[in-house]
Amino acid sequence: MDYFNIEYISIVTGFLLILLGLFAILTQKNIIKIVIGFSLFDTGIHIVMVSIGYIRNRTAPILDETVNIKDAANQIVDPVPQALVLTAIIIGLGVTALMLAYVLKLHKEKKSLEIQNFSDLKW
Amino acid sequence: MVSPIHIITISLGIAFALGIFGNLPKKISAIIMLIAIGAITFISAQWAYALYFGNAETTQIFTAGFKPPYSINLQMGIYEAFFSLLINIIGLLGGIYLFNTLVKQGKNAIIVFLILIMGLNVIVLTQDIFNLFVFLEVQSIATAGLIVLHKNKDSISSGFKYMLATGIIAGLLLIGIIFSYYFTGSLNIADIINANIGLSKGGAVAVFLILIAIVLELKPFPANGWAIDVYQSVKPGFAAIISAGSASAAFFVLYKILPIVPENFYNVISALGIITFIGSNLIGIKQTNTNRLLGYSSIGQMGLLITILGLSPYLGDKLTFIAFAILISHYLAKAGLFWLSGIVKQQNIKNWSNLRKKPVLMVLFGTFIFTLLGFPPFPSFFGKWELIMQLSASGQFIWMALILVGSFIEGIYLFRWFSNSLKSENSKLPEIKISLNKFIPPVIFGVATYGFGYFAGTFVEAAGAINYIPLLFIAFIALIDFLPAWTKNTISIAGVIAYIFYLYPSVEGDLLRQIFLGIFLGGAVITLFSGYYYKGKRLGFYPMALAMFAGLAMLITATNLFEILYGWELMTIGSYFLLIRGKKSLPHGYSYMMFSLGGSYTMMFGFALAFAGFGNLDLQALSGITVYPTLAYSLILIGFMTKTASFGLHIWLPGAHGEAVADIHFMASAILLKAGVFGIILVLLGMGAEAIYAKNILFVLGWIGAISALIGNVAASFQESAKRLLAWSSIGQLGYIVFGLAMMSHLGWTAGLFYTITHFLYKGVLFLIIGGIALKLGTPLMYKMGGLIKKMPFSFIAVLIAIITLAGVPPLVGFAGKWLFYNAIISEGFYFQGVVVLFSGIVAFLYLFRLIHTIFLGQLKDEHRNVKEISVWLLIPVYLLLFAIMIISAKPEFILKPLGNYLISYFPTGALTWNETMVSTALGHWDGYWIMMIVGVMFVILLAWLIITNAKAQKVKQFNMVYAAERPFRPETTHMAHNMFAGYNKALGFLIAPYVTNFWNWISNFVYDTAGFVRRIYSGNGQTYVLHIVAYIMVIYFIIF
Repeated sequence: MDYFNIEYISIVTGFLLILLGLFAILTQKNIIKIVIGFSLFDTGIHIVMVSIGYIRNRTAPILDETVNIKDAANQIVDPVPQALVLTAIIIGLGVTALMLAYVLKLHKEKKSLEIQNFSDLKW
Repeated sequence: MVSPIHIITISLGIAFALGIFGNLPKKISAIIMLIAIGAITFISAQWAYALYFGNAETTQIFTAGFKPPYSINLQMGIYEAFFSLLINIIGLLGGIYLFNTLVKQGKNAIIVFLILIMGLNVIVLTQDIFNLFVFLEVQSIATAGLIVLHKNKDSISSGFKYMLATGIIAGLLLIGIIFSYYFTGSLNIADIINANIGLSKGGAVAVFLILIAIVLELKPFPANGWAIDVYQSVKPGFAAIISAGSASAAFFVLYKILPIVPENFYNVISALGIITFIGSNLIGIKQTNTNRLLGYSSIGQMGLLITILGLSPYLGDKLTFIAFAILISHYLAKAGLFWLSGIVKQQNIKNWSNLRKKPVLMVLFGTFIFTLLGFPPFPSFFGKWELIMQLSASGQFIWMALILVGSFIEGIYLFRWFSNSLKSENSKLPEIKISLNKFIPPVIFGVATYGFGYFAGTFVEAAGAINYIPLLFIAFIALIDFLPAWTKNTISIAGVIAYIFYLYPSVEGDLLRQIFLGIFLGGAVITLFSGYYYKGKRLGFYPMALAMFAGLAMLITATNLFEILYGWELMTIGSYFLLIRGKKSLPHGYSYMMFSLGGSYTMMFGFALAFAGFGNLDLQALSGITVYPTLAYSLILIGFMTKTASFGLHIWLPGAHGEAVADIHFMASAILLKAGVFGIILVLLGMGAEAIYAKNILFVLGWIGAISALIGNVAASFQESAKRLLAWSSIGQLGYIVFGLAMMSHLGWTAGLFYTITHFLYKGVLFLIIGGIALKLGTPLMYKMGGLIKKMPFSFIAVLIAIITLAGVPPLVGFAGKWLFYNAIISEGFYFQGVVVLFSGIVAFLYLFRLIHTIFLGQLKDEHRNVKEISVWLLIPVYLLLFAIMIISAKPEFILKPLGNYLISYFPTGALTWNETMVSTALGHWDGYWIMMIVGVMFVILLAWLIITNAKAQKVKQFNMVYAAERPFRPETTHMAHNMFAGYNKALGFLIAPYVTNFWNWISNFVYDTAGFVRRIYSGNGQTYVLHIVAYIMVIYFIIF
C-alpha cells in the first residue's frame, strides 16, 4: 500500500491534530490556550471527516462546467461528508465563540486565566 | 392532527420572531414563549394520545421529500411522542416556574430557553444520526447559554467546565458517526442498524465511539464532575429541566441507538450503569448541599436506567414497563425536588425544617422522596419489583444484589435529609414565601406521582388484587386533616370497623389469619379509641396510622408475594411517620427507616429467588424454594425480623418506641411488631423443618430468639425511662415468640401464637397506662415518679394485673404461656437455649418489680401533689383489655383448643390433650380454671385478713420522719429507683454493652468514610474532569477490545 497518498496523509494529519488538541486541553493551564486546543481538536475531526469522503481523482461535489451532470455520480467525491463537515464547522464555531464568551466572563470575575483558580465547586 | 414538524417550526419561528421584534416588553416575550411551548406540548400530547389508543400509526417525516440517506427523517411513534411530551411538559411547567427569572434575564434567555426545549424534542424525534449530533450540540450550547446568563460566579466556572466536557464528547460522537457512515453509507439509524457494522473490528470501534459518547452524555460516574457542578450552581428551576428534561432525552437516545450495539457490549453497558448508580449514590451520602445532592441522585437514577437498558436481554417484554416506571418516577420526583429546593432556598440540607410550616409542601416533599425510593403506591415500586423479578427469573442474581445495594445507599441520604426536615429545630430559619407560579408545578407533579402509581399498578399482574378502597379512604382522611382530632378519630374507627366486616369473610376458616386480623385491626380500633384523649388537630396522624393498618390488613389478605411486600412497605411508611412524631425521635425514626428499608430489600431479594424457582408469585412459592434456599429463606426472615426487632436488628427499637407517645407506642409495639411474627410464620410454614438448610436456619433462629429474650429483659431492667423499659421488654417478649416458632413443634407453635395474643393484651395495657402517666407527668423517668397509687388507683390496678400476667405467675394467663413454653423446650430437648430463656424469664421480675414499685409505691413527689388519674379515654381500652385477660386466664381453652386444632394439620404430633378444663402434655398437666379459682379464693381471704387487721393501724404521713440533718445535693440520685439494679448491672452489664450498636455504627462510619474518600476525585478543576473523560473512554475501550 502506498502510504504517501493524499487520503492517508490527510487522515493521519487529522488524527494527529485531534491528539494534539486533546494534549493541549489536558496540559495547558491558561484557559485561552485550552480553547485553542479545543479548536485544534475540532479541526482535526473536520479533516478526518473530509478525508473519509474523498475518492481519488474526483472533484468537488459542485455542479459546474467541469462536471457532467448526467455522469456526476462518477465524477465527484462523496458529497455527504462535505455537507456534514460544513455543519460541523459551523457548530464548532458556535461552541468556540461561546467558550470565549465564558473566558471573558471568567476573566472579568477573577482577573485570572489559570484554570485551577476556578475550582470552587468540588466534592 | 398537527404534523410533528411543527414542533420545530413553531419553536424556531417564535424564537426568530422574538429576536427580530426584540423590543417587546420582557413579560410579553416570556408569555409568548410559554404559549409556543404550550402549542408544542399540545402537538405531542395529541400524538401520544392517538398513538396510545391506536388511533394513529407511527409516522415518518422526510425533509424536502427525499428518502434517507439523502434527507433527514423524523419519526413520531409512541415512545417518541411520550418522551417529547415529557420534555414539553417540563418545558412548560419549568418555564412557568422560572417565569420571573427569565423575565429578569431578558429576551436572550427567553429565546435560548425555547431553543433548548426544541433541541430536546428533535433529539427525541430524529432518526438521523448526524442530525442527532447537531441537536445534541444545540442542546449543550443552549444549556451553556442559559448558564452564562446566570449572574453567579460559580455557575460561570461550572458552565465552562460543562462546555469543555460536552465539546470533547461531541467530538468523539462525530468521529464515531463519520466512521459509521464510512462503513454503512448512511446516516439513518435504521440503515445503520440493518448494516450490523458491530461485527467488523472497524465498525465495532465506530459503534463504540457513538455508544460511549451517548453514555457520557448521561453523565456516568466517575467521569461526571462537570455535570454535578452544573447541578449545584444553576438555579434549581433550571436544574429541574436538566435533570428531568435533558436527562430523559439523553436516555432516549441511548435507547434509540442500542440496536446498533453488538450484544457483547451489553454487559459493559450494565456495568457502567451500575457503577454510576452505586458510586454516585455513595458519594451523595457525604453531601450536604441540597442541589449537589440532588445532582448525585439524578445521576444515580440515570445509572440505574442505563443498567436496565444494558440488562434488556434478560428483561424480555417487561423492559418497556420497567424503564418507563423508573424513568417517570425519576422525572416527576427529581423535577419536584429541584422545584422545592428553589422554593425553600436553603443550600444546606439541614436547614429544610422550615418546610414543615407549609404542610402542602411537606407532603409533596415526602411524596417525591418516597417516589424516588420506590415505595408503594408510586410507579417506581412496581418498576423495581418487576425488574428484580425478571432478573431473578433469568438467573441474574448479582445484578439484583447490586441494584438493591445502590437503592439502599440512595435511601441513606434521602431519608436523612427528609427526617431532618421533619424534626430538626426550625425557629431560626426564615419563613418560606411561595408565589403561585412556583407552587403549581410541584403540585401538578406531586399529584401525577399518585396517578402514575395507580396506572403502573394496572400493568403488574400480581398487583391485580390490590384493594384501593383503603387507600382512597386514607386520601379522604388526609383531605379532612384540618378538622379536630375527635372527628377524624370517629371516622377512622368507623372506617376500620367497616373494613373488618368487609375482610372477615375472606379469612373465615383460617384461624391464623383470624388471630392476626384481630390483633391488627381489632388493635387498631382499641388504639384509635384511646386517641380521643388528644385535644387538638393532631395533623398528619390519622392518614399515617391508617396507612399502617391498611398495610397490616394487606399482609393478612395477601394472596401473593407482591401483595405482601406492598402491604409491608405501606405499613413501613405509616409507622415511620408515627414513630418520628416523638419529641426526640429524629435519630431513632431514621434508624428505624434504615432497618426497614434494608429489610424490605432483603425480603424482595428472597421473594425473587422464590419466584425464580417456582415460576409464579403465589404464596406457595415460599414452600420448598429451590434456588439457593438457605440464602432465600434467611433473607426473607431477616426482612421480617427487622420488624420483630430480633437480636442484631433491634437497635432501632428502644429509642423509636421509647420516644413515642402512649397510643403510638401501643400501635408500634403491641401491633406493629406482630407483622414480623406473621411474616415469620408464613416463611416457616413454607420452609418446614425437614431439609438440612431448614434445620440450620431454625437452629440459628432459635438462638436469635433466645438471645433476644435475654438481652431484652436484662436491658429492660437497667432502664431509667419507663417507656424504654417497656420497649426493651418488647424485644425480649418477641424473642420468646421467635424462639417458640423456631422449635417447629406443636407445643412450640402453640406457645408462640399464644404469646402473640397475650403479649398484645398485657403490653397494650402497659403502653397505654405508662404512656398516659408519662404524658401526665411530662417525663418517662421512673425516679421522678413515685407514690402515685393514691392519685391513680385505676392505673395501679391495671399495671398490677398486667405485670402479673407478663411475669407468668399463676393464676393469670401468662402462666399458661410459660407452662407451654417449658413443656415445649423440654420435649424438644433445647436445653441450652432453654436455660437462657428460663434465666431471662427470671430477669423479667426485676424490671416488672421496678416498674410498679417506683411508679406507684414509695413517696409522692411534691410536684405531683395535684396530679389526677390519667385520661379516661386511655382507661376504657385498658379495662377492655384487662377484661379479655381475665376471660382467657379463667378459660384458656377458648384460645388454646382452636389453636391446637388448627396446628394439628401442620404438626400432627405432640398436641395438647384436654380433659374438661385440664390440659396435659407428655410431661404434665395444668388446669387454668381451677388454679384461677384457688388463687382467687386465697387472694380474697388474704385481702380480707389484711383489711381487718389493718383497720386500727396508725397511718404514717409522708413527712412523718426524720432526716439526718442534711439533704443531699441531688436528691433524686438517692432515690431507690435511680440506677435501681446497680449491683446486677455490675454483674450482668456486659451482656447489654452496645456491641450491636457499635457494630452498626462501625458499618455506617465505614460507608461514610468511603464516600468521603471517593468524592475527592471531584477536584473542581475542569481539566481534571476532561482527564476523567479521556481515561474513562480508554479504560472501557481496553475492556471491550
